[in-house]
Amino acid sequence: MVTAAQVWEALKGVSDPEYPLSIVDLGMVYDVRVDGDTVQVDVTFTSIGCPAIDMITADVHSAVAAVPGVSRVQLEVVWSPPWTKDRITERGWKVLGMYGVAN
Amino acid sequence: MDHREQQLIDKINDGFMVESEEDMTPGYKKALLTQLTVQGDTELMSAPAYYLATRDAPTINSRIAVTAIVHDELGHANIAYRIMEDLGVDKQQLVYGRQPHEFKHPYGFDQPLENWAEMVVANGFFDRAGITLLGDVHQHTSYGPLKRALVKVDREEVLHLRHGESWMKRLAKAGGEAREALQRAVDWMFLMTLEWFGLPDDLKRHSGQLAYRLKGKTNDQLRQTWMAATVPLCEGIGIDVPAHWDDARQEYVIDCPFPCQYDPAAKRWLHDEPLTWDQVFERWKARGPMNERYVEMVQGNGGIFGGRRW
Repeated sequence: MVTAAQVWEALKGVSDPEYPLSIVDLGMVYDVRVDGDTVQVDVTFTSIGCPAIDMITADVHSAVAAVPGVSRVQLEVVWSPPWTKDRITERGWKVLGMYGVAN
Repeated sequence: MDHREQQLIDKINDGFMVESEEDMTPGYKKALLTQLTVQGDTELMSAPAYYLATRDAPTINSRIAVTAIVHDELGHANIAYRIMEDLGVDKQQLVYGRQPHEFKHPYGFDQPLENWAEMVVANGFFDRAGITLLGDVHQHTSYGPLKRALVKVDREEVLHLRHGESWMKRLAKAGGEAREALQRAVDWMFLMTLEWFGLPDDLKRHSGQLAYRLKGKTNDQLRQTWMAATVPLCEGIGIDVPAHWDDARQEYVIDCPFPCQYDPAAKRWLHDEPLTWDQVFERWKARGPMNERYVEMVQGNGGIFGGRRW
């Protein structure tokens, strides 16, 4: 039986392609729903013209598909509510600070 | 060597970071400006090459990705020129006042990228060369402002690289025409990138950049670093490259005459025409087929707006 917690854990392994920071810490994952062996994930991006949409969606698919018991992954790209930097977690700010791109 | 120069080199070897013009000697400043010119020009001239190839993107998302890469490269050029501006160089003159042949970018960015396979191999090979070179500068440079500026540049180059490599894998897997186009692109772009790293160590005259610790690794070491990433990538997707790992020598070995002559119209290396490095420099100096077009794309035809400082 797949749980949402397992899926969230797997998503913590999906990093932004520029920074070693997960899309969970960036606040880009809006919802995870589990229905039997099907997982639905709602993901947003930090801008509509995000150049990494292909890379990140591919990574989300493979990370979630690797959770034991998952046979279908449905990824929904959502834009509402719009992403803002307030969604970055405390851990996220620390990592960004370490790389010299945040105070 | 002048006493002051040696004094600065000794200080740098003890870990001193140069922060301002007052810390520099004339030799240091000259070597730094040369390095920054090559760095800025390389970033700048990748932009028109990539920009023309955005037309060949097979999806909207991939077109966004490549136009974002163009945007990044212009930003990276601006960073290098801005650092030069702080040292008294006229940035406007540097970008808009030079003739096409005066730019110092590698010969690879004088070549047309004519299909999507060539675009993604440029990201996989040329941007890998960029990371190899700039990563080394970032790690070793004695110039503080450059070290700090390169943090963001390096992160963005990683994204370009990943874009290139993931598309190379997709094209290889797709097979058929896509795979053939990928192999053809690799065939001319592999040696093109190897040449980019310049003179082999046994021919290299005294290097000011190494002495002043503006970089850390030698040309041959950097060429090896590039091959250590690129050869396994290509082998892993079944794409042929003219180089392999040699167990006895514990290094990558190039399997064809290197350097040799290049036919830019046919995009073909002429293995039966080996060159000396002096002849390679002549070919570079004559510039490649897209040089004038790319510089014109960057400088534009300002018309009534041209020639003014805004």
